[in-house]
Amino acid sequence: MLWNVNRKRKFINSGKTKVFSCSAMATKETVSVGDGIAEPGIEPGASAETMLVTTDSFEEYEQEMSSSIDDKHMKESTTSTISEIQEEVQDIPVTPTPTSPVDLKKVASPDDPELEDISYQFGQTSLDVDPLRSKAWLAQKKHVFVLSQAGKPIYSRHSSEDKLVTVMGVMQALVSFVQDGNDMIRSVHAGDTNFVFVVKGPLILVSVSKTLESVPQLVLQLTYVYNQILSVLTQSQLTRVYDQRRNFDLRRLLTGSERLIDHLLNFMDREPAFFLGAVKCLPLLPSMRDSITQTIVQTCGKIKNLVFAILLANNQLVTLVRMKKYFIHPADLHLIQNLVDSSESFKSAESWTPICLPKFDSNGFMHGHVSYLAEDCQACLLLLTVDRDVFFTLSDAKQKIVEKLRRTNCLEAINESMNKTSVTTGEIGLPEMRHVLYKCRSTAQFWSPGFQSPYTTDEEVERLLGLYQCLHHRLHAPSRPLKLIFQQLDKETMLAWVTSGFELYVTFEPLVTKPDAINSVSKLLKWIKKEEERLFILNSPTF
Amino acid sequence: MSAKPEITLEHFYVFNGTYAKKEGEEEKKILYYYPSKIDLDSQIKNIGLSEAIIKFTESFNPGQACDYCHTHKTRQIYFQPEPDFWMVMIVGVPRVWKVKDGTQFMEYQNEEVSSNVCQAILRQTYTMFRLFMGSFDTILNDPECGSVLLLKHKLDHFYSRYLLSLKLNNSDILDVFQGLQFLPLDKTTFLRVQCFMNLVEAMFSQVKYTAFLYNDQLVWSGLDPEDMQVVYNYLISTLLPAYLEKELHGGSMPRNSPSPFTSSHYGKFVTGPSSINEPNGTGKLPRVYINYSTIPISLYLVVYRALSATICLFVDSKTSLVMDFFKSLDTFLGPQLTTLVSSVAEQCSKHVTIVADSSPKYLYFNKLNLAYKSTIHLDNRRCSNVLTTPEVLRIITDINNDTNKLKEAGEVIIKTMSDYWVVGKLSNLREFFVVIQQKNANLIEIDDEVKRLCEQQLKSIFFH
Amino acid sequence: MESSTSEDTGDDYYLELSADPIRFESVSFLTNVFFDDSNKQVFAVRSGGVTGVLVKGPNQNLSFRMEDKGPVISIKFSPDMNILAIQRTNTSVEFVNYLPTRELDSVEYSQSCKGKNASILGFVWTHGNEILLVTDHGVELFQVTPEKRTVKALKSLSLGVNWFVFCPQSYLVLLSSGTIGNQMQALHITPGNLHKLTKFEMEATATKPGKLAVSERDVALAVLYDIPCIIVLRHQQGASRSNATTFVYVYTVHKMMTIKRSHILKLDMSGRFAINVVDNLIIVHHQASKTSMIFDIMLPGVSDGTVIYHTSVAVPKPIKPYNLKVPGATLSEHIFQPCQLYSPNWVVFQPNIVIDAKLGCLWYIELRLDALVKVIRDKILLVEFLMQRKDAKQILIQVLQSFMTQMPVSLMEMPTIFDKLNSVYRSHLENEIQSQMGTPLQSNTKSVATTLENLKHKLLIDQSDIYTHILSKFSEGTIEPKMVVWVLLEYIRSLAEHGIPVQHYLHELVITTLVHRKAYYQLHQLLQYHVVADSKPLACLLLSLENLYPAAHQLALDMLKRLGNAHEEIIEVLLSKGHILPALSFFRYVRSVGMADEISARKFLEAGKASNDPILFHSVFKFFEQRNVRLHNTTAFTRGEHCQPYVQHFKYLFRETDNGCNSDTNSNVSTVST
Repeated sequence: MLWNVNRKRKFINSGKTKVFSCSAMATKETVSVGDGIAEPGIEPGASAETMLVTTDSFEEYEQEMSSSIDDKHMKESTTSTISEIQEEVQDIPVTPTPTSPVDLKKVASPDDPELEDISYQFGQTSLDVDPLRSKAWLAQKKHVFVLSQAGKPIYSRHSSEDKLVTVMGVMQALVSFVQDGNDMIRSVHAGDTNFVFVVKGPLILVSVSKTLESVPQLVLQLTYVYNQILSVLTQSQLTRVYDQRRNFDLRRLLTGSERLIDHLLNFMDREPAFFLGAVKCLPLLPSMRDSITQTIVQTCGKIKNLVFAILLANNQLVTLVRMKKYFIHPADLHLIQNLVDSSESFKSAESWTPICLPKFDSNGFMHGHVSYLAEDCQACLLLLTVDRDVFFTLSDAKQKIVEKLRRTNCLEAINESMNKTSVTTGEIGLPEMRHVLYKCRSTAQFWSPGFQSPYTTDEEVERLLGLYQCLHHRLHAPSRPLKLIFQQLDKETMLAWVTSGFELYVTFEPLVTKPDAINSVSKLLKWIKKEEERLFILNSPTF
Repeated sequence: MSAKPEITLEHFYVFNGTYAKKEGEEEKKILYYYPSKIDLDSQIKNIGLSEAIIKFTESFNPGQACDYCHTHKTRQIYFQPEPDFWMVMIVGVPRVWKVKDGTQFMEYQNEEVSSNVCQAILRQTYTMFRLFMGSFDTILNDPECGSVLLLKHKLDHFYSRYLLSLKLNNSDILDVFQGLQFLPLDKTTFLRVQCFMNLVEAMFSQVKYTAFLYNDQLVWSGLDPEDMQVVYNYLISTLLPAYLEKELHGGSMPRNSPSPFTSSHYGKFVTGPSSINEPNGTGKLPRVYINYSTIPISLYLVVYRALSATICLFVDSKTSLVMDFFKSLDTFLGPQLTTLVSSVAEQCSKHVTIVADSSPKYLYFNKLNLAYKSTIHLDNRRCSNVLTTPEVLRIITDINNDTNKLKEAGEVIIKTMSDYWVVGKLSNLREFFVVIQQKNANLIEIDDEVKRLCEQQLKSIFFH
Repeated sequence: MESSTSEDTGDDYYLELSADPIRFESVSFLTNVFFDDSNKQVFAVRSGGVTGVLVKGPNQNLSFRMEDKGPVISIKFSPDMNILAIQRTNTSVEFVNYLPTRELDSVEYSQSCKGKNASILGFVWTHGNEILLVTDHGVELFQVTPEKRTVKALKSLSLGVNWFVFCPQSYLVLLSSGTIGNQMQALHITPGNLHKLTKFEMEATATKPGKLAVSERDVALAVLYDIPCIIVLRHQQGASRSNATTFVYVYTVHKMMTIKRSHILKLDMSGRFAINVVDNLIIVHHQASKTSMIFDIMLPGVSDGTVIYHTSVAVPKPIKPYNLKVPGATLSEHIFQPCQLYSPNWVVFQPNIVIDAKLGCLWYIELRLDALVKVIRDKILLVEFLMQRKDAKQILIQVLQSFMTQMPVSLMEMPTIFDKLNSVYRSHLENEIQSQMGTPLQSNTKSVATTLENLKHKLLIDQSDIYTHILSKFSEGTIEPKMVVWVLLEYIRSLAEHGIPVQHYLHELVITTLVHRKAYYQLHQLLQYHVVADSKPLACLLLSLENLYPAAHQLALDMLKRLGNAHEEIIEVLLSKGHILPALSFFRYVRSVGMADEISARKFLEAGKASNDPILFHSVFKFFEQRNVRLHNTTAFTRGEHCQPYVQHFKYLFRETDNGCNSDTNSNVSTVST
């Protein structure tokens, strides 16, 4: 139990701890030549400063993902980050505001008879139309189910969950049966299908996948789903409702947010950001990015309790300004990206929305002012505060920011970069290289070029990501981490290479020769080095 | 962290769900359960869980049977050898006490257990049973006393001893391959062996099949690979070691004592009469069941050995095993085999190559004729006699996993954190693994190293 | 089945008399009959010649008259039939020229022996017109010149002679001297000269005083397997008549220098014997039992270090009964009357002549191999025996065929039999090769056994014989296929042991038979140990077997690889399998080591297109674009390669969808310094 606490501490410190790893890098780098790639001691995108919580390895990342919540003693064992912040300012009791998406009073009276009936009805109806008999449904590449420890359906990705009472019943039975032998069912494998079980607090999450993704990766995805649920409910509320009523029907609290989960799942299927545990930045001239950042800092510097200001464009990070000594975890940022990407409503009007960032504080809501910069600039600005009633202050701030940005032509810069199709390796002048993922470990940022032929269809892109995930899994296999993988496969040749400073996943023409491959990798690294200020955010601005 | 944490055999059971017609009959499903001391209720419960898991997976992808299930503390392996029959092996994941921030906690090293290897072992337990007892089906339909009871009895008789001999902790990729080591031999000597075996078949019509081994290596097999695989495994890992052990102790006594049959040669029966002129009969002879791919038959397995050569005679089970039969066998085999061995031995002496410890180790497997060769393993007796780290072996297993997905050809080069290079090459349906420990080598140097090795070892085949 | 027919001939007499004997006037009070074993001519001299001399030989039948100058002791034509020598006294020999007009010259001229009061034991024509007179005091060699009707002495040698034997094939004269006649002096007569061979002595058996220890009638000169031999009957007086047995000693002459006793034939009988030589076999006739035995000194026997003991090849058998055709009552009709075999009137001459003076018949003794086949039980012995006979190939093959029908038991002897056949086969090949290029085949221990001189007496059965007459015959389903494989492999083993390259049709047979009985894994092992030699045809055969046995494809590829000159084939095979990328990388490798001439890009592009896998086609296309860049640094294909359709196809598949390629939007993108 204690080590969870310790993890929590670590996560807060990780910003400082990074410094060591960075300084260590330079020296390590020379060694990493031995990894078989004649590569100069450069490490593009590396920076001593970061606004993101970075983790050293996938497994650690994954554990951290779950650890922060996994166990019930959390509440007692740690103090809420949000309250920390508030205490520093002034004492405001944290109570959910009316604007929070769900009315807790309503929930507080759960043993509502007709509620019972409804869920009972569900139980009935589920029996006649059974998805398990539908070929199409069975053929789905990846199913995701969420149910309560009592076996009540909460979410199903590919069909309305109420049709699945029975099968979810079985899942729950399997889990609890194994639990009785104080063990924990993790996964089942049949042919090309993996069944992965994750038990988090009061919930059971199950993934049934025919993809190449490894069990840890599926676990990670389920954890994201769980965190998504927390981000609308908070941990404390979730546990509370189930403490009060074991077979509570959680769907009533989640109405409307299924789309978030749906979107998140699709998002994860085509976004390397998730398994990389990193975020991608919008390429910008450093000067531009700085002036944008400065604008935000100057405008919002005075506003109390503003923790994060985040500017997103095309799901890429333009800039992020943070309150001193607080960091945002990529996992939380991904949830924010998911929120923005999946809610058209933000485009129409600026909104004031409560959001829980599980990694930051799984027990409390933050309040986000979300708005797009302008009609003619579809970048989304989020101002996150622990203060529930500063909507108008933030709204004003936003207006000022936009005006300044317009004056300094930053909007154009953002637009230009947004409208430009991202550069491909072909254009960079690496004919034998098809695609690449470059992750800078010290800043938890990654860069990847645009997809070029033959990856011109969704299936191909997903297949490619699948391959990347396999490599990633091997590279970070908990008990057997690797330094380097070079594999010539049926359709492409791939290289995965991790050094103390970066992780690299490269896709080559299948028939590339090893010398050519290595050659082009070092060219690539040189190029990224040359471009690093455009591609990455190398500083970590604070208010 | 002191003693190497071990994989342990927790449960092993065979059941047939269709044997329980209605509620309360569950125990009828159970055909064999290890450990037997476990009370019936938990036996039924565990089997119930297995059935649940099987049904659950089938409901999602019909046609694909459940392979295995990971729990935090165990690995459960599923195998359906024959319709409705399931074998389940549950092994305990190795665990170690770890100390983190002053508190001790048990860490379960799930990654240490390879499901593929476990799968392979479970299959072995079945094929081995089938070799000596016959398939479940044949037992049930045995004309005389075929019955579920008989099956239970045989399962118990076989597994109660066999399970103790499982080498869970020394198993590796070799168990997955279940390969045969062939003796490198020149064409003429091979033909001599082959013709001699033919002659044996010609002269003794009761002999249906033959096989010839030199030390642990196969020279000739009249059986089909699937059968030879199991027999070979039995000979190499069980029968011969035990025999040699016995020889070593009783060894000093003169060969077979003065008798007209053996004075001239070194031949002895490994199975069958321990000595030709011994009164106490022909000794007990194992029966084996083979040819499942076509028409299963049961044959006696007569194993005869002279010096380093071992020959297997698969004898028609209708033959009456009178002493005279063995005597005539002995007189025929002994002298000829003794001379044949020496010519084989002479040839082999030309082939021996001593590999320096520094030089790269390799492992070769051809799934089409099941031939394998390994300089990683000192012998093929599964007693952890390996020249590399378990980590590397596991990585080889991983690569093998991945390359199985490949169609035509492919190559995987891996560098571990401990600066081992592991290379896996797949071409023309053959697998070739190379292990090199060379700290400051780079990809190109390793690639050249592998090319060199292929040139040496695989020049006579299309492996590109 | 061939064998069965030979069974049908019923009797198993393995010797017979030639079908039509040379008939001549039988001996009577006014007709004298002489036989010249040099010219194989029978002389019937009617009343001293006045009433005519009839000469019958294998190819002459002449008659002439000569005046009676007293009883004729011996009469012989010179080798080229131009001089007739007649001996009437024991001191001189008369000569008459025999004219082309097929009549005798009127004038006789004579030559008396030089030795003082020596008496002539006999004479023989040697080379051309040279004649050798043998007297009890020695030998004298004369040159006769018919034109001048003169005779000139050439050489002479004086030595006490009891009797002599002459061998026309070897020109050896064996002289018996010494008081008991066991001192043996052999002379080799060459044109105009006499050569002494080393004297030797036959151990004397106890004989009555005045009687010779070795008598002329017990001695025969012959040539066996090109080696001059002295064959001598030795009667061993046993304690009683019954256990008295006779041996035949065979003395062999080496390089016309030395003579040594090298073989002893055990007769296990006693009484009167006569010796013939047929087809290098010693035939011993036994009068008492009216049977004959056959000995072959080339067959293995029991050796005591200096001498090899032989027993007869087959049990003694009588000569096949013979019916003589004689005129019947009228001229037209004939009747056949059985004639007595082994009759006392028989006179036996070397090598193979039997004369019945009473009947006036001259026969040749002949072998009946097909009968022998039945009486020689030991398979290996039989084969070896037949291998040493003239034109016995057909029979040997039949014998081998019959062995096959006796499988599996007969597999026991196969190894030795095949080894015997092949050691001969091997040495034949060695000869050929040496004669062709003077370079010997890589030496093989086995082949040493067959020394080249007696090689020409050994029957050659090569693999094509074995294939056409025996191995391929099996296809008619005579015996179990698995036994066919046994024989086949046994034969191939033997060939291999003798270092004889195996012909592909045998390998093909191995493969097809194994496939036929579905013994794929066994086949696999044979290929694995390279029992089957690599060749493109076999590789193709294997490829064709793939649907029966998947591994065949792998084996075929391996074989092509080993051939070293089949890169194109390998690429074809890979492409046909749809293994396009492996084919490409192999292609690249082959070119890198400069082994393959350029294979057109179209081949690969077409395959890529045909695969209907855009990704795959993409890879192939890019591969060649890169190649183009290296060759003439542009991605474009040269006109000559006719790849336009594929460029189109690529565009069709990717260009319009490929956002990456409208690079104008990325004008400001920097590229790596290349």
